Amino acid sequence: MHMNEFTQQKYYRPYVSPFDPCPPIRVKSYVTPPQLYLGYQPYNLPQYQPQQALYAGTLWPALFSPYNGRYWGREEA
Amino acid sequence: MSSQVQFPKEFYQLMEELQVVDFVLVELTLYLDTHPEDYAAIQQFNEASYHRRILVPKVEQYMGPLQQFGHSYSGYPWNWNQAPWPWQI
Repeated sequence: MHMNEFTQQKYYRPYVSPFDPCPPIRVKSYVTPPQLYLGYQPYNLPQYQPQQALYAGTLWPALFSPYNGRYWGREEA
Repeated sequence: MSSQVQFPKEFYQLMEELQVVDFVLVELTLYLDTHPEDYAAIQQFNEASYHRRILVPKVEQYMGPLQQFGHSYSGYPWNWNQAPWPWQI
């Protein structure tokens, strides 16, 4: 799989039972950061500027994995 | 009663620069653990380390010793345990 074809967030639909006491969470998601697809980190990957690396949380853009907060309860296909 | 310490603007710029250099050093350390022969990364690591050695005395002028047991000089009086601590600035 080519590096930029993977998604960082994936979704699934948990089973919802008719006897569930609480309102169902129909869609849940989980994070799949780049390192899952990278394996052994290649040499000489392009780097962020040091200042930007501190705020991005990684020295290499290829490994950047943003956190966007809203995780579940989204009506995804 | 020790008055409340107020740092000038330059201190915060220096401190952020130190945090930036430290983060690069952490990343490179972890990277080099698995890529010990990456010469370019080792060069970058040594440059960052050199830059840090220049930076730390400047930060310590404002903040006092950052490390103990001789790894930092002491001001007068012996004040390593006075506020603010790095996480309080």
